[in-house]
Amino acid sequence: SESYIQIPNGQPPGKPELLRCRSPEKETFTCWWKPGSDGGLPTNYTLLYSKEGDKSINECPDYRTAGPNSCYFDKKHTSLWAIYNITIKATNKMGSNISEPQYVDVTYIVQPDPPVNLSLEVKKQVDGKPYLLLKWHPPPLADVKSGWLTLEYKLRLKPEEGDEWETIFVGQQTQYKLFSLNPGKKYIAQVHCKPDHGEWSDWSSESYIQIPSDIELKDVIVWIF
Amino acid sequence: CPSGSVGCQVSLGNLFDRAVKLSHYIHSLSSEMFNEFDERYAQGRGFITKAINGCHTSSLTTPEDKEQAQQIHHEDLLNLVLGVLRSWNDPLLHLVSEVQSIKEAPDTILWKAVEIEEQNKRLLEGMEKIVGQVHPGEIENEVYSRWSGLPSLQMADEDSRLFAFYSLLHCLRRDSHKIDNYLKLLKCRLIHDSNC
Repeated sequence: SESYIQIPNGQPPGKPELLRCRSPEKETFTCWWKPGSDGGLPTNYTLLYSKEGDKSINECPDYRTAGPNSCYFDKKHTSLWAIYNITIKATNKMGSNISEPQYVDVTYIVQPDPPVNLSLEVKKQVDGKPYLLLKWHPPPLADVKSGWLTLEYKLRLKPEEGDEWETIFVGQQTQYKLFSLNPGKKYIAQVHCKPDHGEWSDWSSESYIQIPSDIELKDVIVWIF
Repeated sequence: CPSGSVGCQVSLGNLFDRAVKLSHYIHSLSSEMFNEFDERYAQGRGFITKAINGCHTSSLTTPEDKEQAQQIHHEDLLNLVLGVLRSWNDPLLHLVSEVQSIKEAPDTILWKAVEIEEQNKRLLEGMEKIVGQVHPGEIENEVYSRWSGLPSLQMADEDSRLFAFYSLLHCLRRDSHKIDNYLKLLKCRLIHDSNC
């Protein structure tokens, strides 16, 4: 007679991994994870966390807002100056697996969005000297008005066909006057920002300007004989 | 009279500018010092798990997000900053002397401890001037949180001693960030009418 061995259909899930957490404005944050193998079965992921000063273990408040394999902590769920102990648990019908815990302090994961509305304009001083005026706005989510976040900016510029950027650190200002222009060239400019104690944002989208070829750049030299 | 003064008294705006520069500097140093210590002495020891809930200043209830920080009256927030600063006088003094007992402690950690201790005192003086201008006459009780961590910095067991340092530097980094954050908020609120 024949005997059959029941071969289990699928495997327990592999170990998931918490990849990164980021706060764009020191008021909310998002964590992303990488699933392990799913063992060939529908696998469910949960993010579990406990917060310093609070004994309870909680589940992620929002899996939807930040897309797949992520958890979004809104203002109500975000505290500064408290360590979050975060783990990811993968579960399917054959079993479950849990990630290594990560300790996250929102204070140290702040990376803003890029600044917006970078505009470029050629202007002239009262004495006729031309300059390029660059203006931009802080990222919309960042509350710089109240002082909750302090941002510093860096600009970079290059001629369209050039491959070397000129980088200028401008501090907390949101505009900059540039006097060294090459007439007749088309320039690309970008700006990015950094909170007082945090990471640089990505660069903003590119802005372009054509510098007219008829502008007088150098101070006029008058020869007196 | 110094520049930026009104009737020989340094203006509130000027005092805040100086205080914010100092608090920014102190936090940058604390943060670098913690990172250096962490890299050199704490790798693979799992100190972070044990450091949770361990700061001597945790008895001072401070705002933990923007909304809470904005709801608290500016005089109360100023007094909290004073309280946290005062709570660090004693541990910083001991940190400076005890840090020399760490085996092969790099000079960069040593001088940062000295520098933070000095700058913290200057910031405290500045904050007392600010509080004196914001609500003159009112002398607050010297609220602060007592630190009793000296024996742990002197423990014979190296692992326990290193953990005590780790924990203290972690708390210093956190509290100096809080102070810097609150002061920047207060500066915008009191000097720029929340339109920084």
